[in-house]
Amino acid sequence: MEGQRGLLTSYIRAKWYIYASGISFSIAANLFQAYYPKVLGNFTDQLQLGGLTKDAVLHYSLILIWVGVAYGVLGGIGQFHIMYVGRKFEWFTRRRLFGHFTKLGEQYYSKNGVGKLLSYVMNDVTTVRESIAMGVNQTANATMLIISVIVMMILSNIPVYQILVCISPLIFIPWVVVRIGPSIRKRSLEVQESLGAMTESAEEQFGGIRVTKKFAVEDIMNERFGRTVDRIKDNQLKLVRISSYFQALIPFLGALSLIIALAFGGYLALAGAITLGNFVALTLYVRMMVNPLQAIGNVINTIQRSRASVQRLNDLLAKRPEIEEEPSAVEADWSREVLAVNDLSFTYPDSPEEALQHISLRLEPGKTLGIVGKTGSGKTTLIKLLLRVYNPPAGSITIGDKDVRSLTLENLRGGIGYVPQDGFLFSSTIRDNIAFYKRSAELSLVEKAAKHAKIHDSIMSFPDGFETKLGERGVTLSGGQRQRTALARGMMMDAPILILDDSVSAVDAVTETAIIKTIRKQRRNKTTIIIAHRISALKHADEIIVLDKGRIVQRGTHHSLLQQDGIYAMLHAIQEEGSGVG
Amino acid sequence: MAKAIDIRQTDSGADLAAHSNNRPNKAAYKGLYQFAKPHRKTFLAMFGCIIVAIAADLLQPYLVKVAIDDHLMAGDRSAKTLFIIAGIYLLLSVLGFVFSYLQNNLMQLAGQSIVASIRKKLFRHITRQSMSYFDRVPSGSLITHVSSDTESLNQFFTSVLLSVLRDGLTLLFIIALMFQLDVQMTLYCLVLLPIIALNAFAFRSYMRRTYQMARTNLSRLVAFVAENLAGMRIIQVFHQEREQQTQFDEKNQLYFRSNMREIRTNVLFNRSFEMLGNLSVAFVTWLGGNAVLGESIPFGVLFAFITYIRQFFQPINNISQQWNTLQSATVSLNRIWNIFDTVPEVQDAEKVRNVDVSAVKGKIDFDGVKFGYNDGIPVIHKLDLHVQPGEMIGIVGTTGAGKSSLISLLCRFYEVQEGHVRIDGTDVRELPQETLHRLIGLVQQEPYLYSGSIIDNVRLFDETITREQVIEACKLVGADTLIGRMKDGYDTRLSERGSGLSAGERQLISFARIIVFKPKILILDEATANLDSHSEQLIQEALNVVSKGRTTLVIAHRLSTIMGADRIIVMRNGAIIEEGNHRELLRRGGYYEELYKHSQGSNPQLAAGAVGGRASKKSCGVG
Repeated sequence: MEGQRGLLTSYIRAKWYIYASGISFSIAANLFQAYYPKVLGNFTDQLQLGGLTKDAVLHYSLILIWVGVAYGVLGGIGQFHIMYVGRKFEWFTRRRLFGHFTKLGEQYYSKNGVGKLLSYVMNDVTTVRESIAMGVNQTANATMLIISVIVMMILSNIPVYQILVCISPLIFIPWVVVRIGPSIRKRSLEVQESLGAMTESAEEQFGGIRVTKKFAVEDIMNERFGRTVDRIKDNQLKLVRISSYFQALIPFLGALSLIIALAFGGYLALAGAITLGNFVALTLYVRMMVNPLQAIGNVINTIQRSRASVQRLNDLLAKRPEIEEEPSAVEADWSREVLAVNDLSFTYPDSPEEALQHISLRLEPGKTLGIVGKTGSGKTTLIKLLLRVYNPPAGSITIGDKDVRSLTLENLRGGIGYVPQDGFLFSSTIRDNIAFYKRSAELSLVEKAAKHAKIHDSIMSFPDGFETKLGERGVTLSGGQRQRTALARGMMMDAPILILDDSVSAVDAVTETAIIKTIRKQRRNKTTIIIAHRISALKHADEIIVLDKGRIVQRGTHHSLLQQDGIYAMLHAIQEEGSGVG
Repeated sequence: MAKAIDIRQTDSGADLAAHSNNRPNKAAYKGLYQFAKPHRKTFLAMFGCIIVAIAADLLQPYLVKVAIDDHLMAGDRSAKTLFIIAGIYLLLSVLGFVFSYLQNNLMQLAGQSIVASIRKKLFRHITRQSMSYFDRVPSGSLITHVSSDTESLNQFFTSVLLSVLRDGLTLLFIIALMFQLDVQMTLYCLVLLPIIALNAFAFRSYMRRTYQMARTNLSRLVAFVAENLAGMRIIQVFHQEREQQTQFDEKNQLYFRSNMREIRTNVLFNRSFEMLGNLSVAFVTWLGGNAVLGESIPFGVLFAFITYIRQFFQPINNISQQWNTLQSATVSLNRIWNIFDTVPEVQDAEKVRNVDVSAVKGKIDFDGVKFGYNDGIPVIHKLDLHVQPGEMIGIVGTTGAGKSSLISLLCRFYEVQEGHVRIDGTDVRELPQETLHRLIGLVQQEPYLYSGSIIDNVRLFDETITREQVIEACKLVGADTLIGRMKDGYDTRLSERGSGLSAGERQLISFARIIVFKPKILILDEATANLDSHSEQLIQEALNVVSKGRTTLVIAHRLSTIMGADRIIVMRNGAIIEEGNHRELLRRGGYYEELYKHSQGSNPQLAAGAVGGRASKKSCGVG
């Protein structure tokens, strides 16, 4: 429990003084506010007694102004402090979460989608912020106001039993809020969900519009979409049934209280048990209490919700990163040492089957290794282990005499350049994307990398050249352009080892040939690992291994492999001879 | 994701500033009125409810005034009248309770029905657009129109309209009641009204700007985090955690600062509003106190005034709050009506020629076709191509050669600028689009999956196609064993994301679609580009089944896909430069041979060997 409270308590402990000052200001403001019906009550009494003069009227008006100004200013300062604390919490927590995200590994990301993680950053943090800012603020305000109102009433010689009778319907307000609040929330979540479902449906329909139109099934799709629309309507109406009941009920309870005050207070005033001024003050006090009581109910609901959020955030922050640098991490000289894979077998954490079995490799500096195999044969797994995206078993991957797990992350990541298949790029400028490894790099270096990846001409055709922004607010690159930009990013690093993970699959044959040629030239004395479906991309490698079901089934050079009967020769035949149509 | 994050919270506000409403809104609002018209009765009933509810609410302070002036102050000692007053009070509050409940429900009923019908019509209208529209307009913005823009229309009904009616009427009622109580006092109080309103609206417009800034910064923050989460592996592999954290900090700080600005404005506004309220009470007390002193009004009137003047503020505040919503609703409304105004570029001819789909043979003729996209640069010049029924044509050429444009013209996604595209001698412009689309089956590079069972994905939710037909189709294309291995067989649910199918397997589903929809002409547009060699083979086998008895056009980057075609055309810069079967083209030693060499990895010796090996295989294949 202690650990779970961590995030919130440590924050509040650090910022308690702002809290304290904010709450004090609010309390002071409420004390003034509570004084206000009392002034009007006194005014009434004096008026009734006939002791009112022009000066007295002025006097009372001035007091009212003072009360108003003091309440406004003090309350404002208090409110500002407390909202500041809330936003600062948001700032602080999001920052921490982002830092934590950068440490979590592939294993975590494969299980948790972006949507879910974003909802931590957005929804959970916001919920907690609301409860600690608004919640604390309103509880403090409401409690203070109620207490001071009751004290004021007692001080005004209004009998306690009368106060209790009058406010008895009000007691139900927090109860009603707590009872109905959650089901309002549940139904409004349902509305949100059905809205989400409609958006998703629209997303799906517009994404597949070509298929829909091509098969002329527009009517059927319209109907499918219409169903999601109708569901929103139903859910909205379900929500309003309860929420409008709630909205009408609270003022109704307030009115009941007033009726009692009117009948009972009026009766007592008639009987002379209380003064007319007290009667006036009483009705005003009752009105004053409706809002804070409702607020308390709301706060209870917010806090309940935020408890779950705090728990989720704490759980997330408690997740240990899978890949951590050892305290005694060392550095290796990547450009001189031999990269070796020693009888590597690997199973993914949640999978019953081994993804790789007994893989052994030696890669001398300056050599090129080619890897071929079907989808699911283990190529990408091998790369992930080399990159230490997943932790390889101890001693299974070494550079020189050092286990890759014993290296500093900086040394490891600096040693290997990587070009992924999907060509993931960020929505910044093309220059920043290519110079991702070192964003301060000179433009000439960026240009050189772009030329090597055969993307330079495409980039120059954009109006802003290398400063062109990518992504939603910028240009969209085609699959082949993305791959080539990602290739430039990998080449730019000029790392001792470069891994190309099927990096030219979306590039046409002519360009592919040119790219492979440049890579061979540029990386003459450096190590390169090429994974490809197309044999044409890796036939020049010093060694080619063929993976199938997690094992190396063939190895050798292009020519020696062609001599053997096996997957490689078969692949070659399929790709070069087009046996498919035949 | 739509569920997890309130999209409206982050998005819609951000681009509000960009689209200020400089277009005439009148037409859009008129259009909206057409949608609202069928619900006149509901609106009328709601209006009645509002009046009763407000009256019941506002008469309450008046009752207290009666109690004070006529009884307590007047020294009426009978408790009976007091209880009668209390009884009336109770009645009023019950009325208020019931009618405000009804009014809210009626409003939602009308609003929701209108928004639902707009949504459906909008969606229908968008799907009616021609393909060029979808090439031009990103689907993201269409989604925004259908979901967020209509949602802000919903806001218009449920909050703007409701507030204007309810709060506006409340204000009027209060003023009327005040006049009823004392004319002079009311006139004095009305001096306050413009001050309050001015304060409210001035602050609101200032607040809107700070609010928008905060939203823009928030949506940037969200976008940044989303992207970084998606690309976390790249960040880690390039060891850029620190740099990205710095960038995040900048955005976080920016958002924090705009939040603080928002808070400052907010607090300032709320407080000044509140103080204004208290000042007004002081003002009324002073004014009324003197009046009571001068015996010109009874004390109860003063009491009622004080209560009313406090109630004055709420509706004004509410209405001013609606200002923002009204503006964003207007922007959304304009955007929606802009779409309604978009006429599909490709339309059915006035006199369409109805053809019997089952009797179509599948002969295709491109006669002197010329075509270019909007920018005026011609993509296809004077192209002639004649395809016999049942023939298989392979089309190759580099990106931009005009291969896909050719297909688009055949499907009439775009219109030719000159010449004719004919199917069985009928110009495609004379055919109803629906018939044309049913005639031609298109398999694309990225097969699209809908969220639904495999059965529904194959028959595209068309219930007139039976389950048995679907299963038979899957067997034909060789997807049956694969589907049999899946958890729920043919009822396994698929979706665009995470279907658990490989690219090749997804492509098989789209082949099964072709079988059940029975088009006469089949087009494969780079259908094998993303597949590994093994899956490609699977697809090739399916293609053999599907292309049987159909005129088939195959576009491919990889020559292996089209080597076996009856005829291969090579395109370059919008024209056919070479034509013939694989062997003829190789013999010719032109551009095709060059392409072929590249795909072989420029090893001429090997290539030559391969040609020899294939010839025999081919002859028994396509046949």
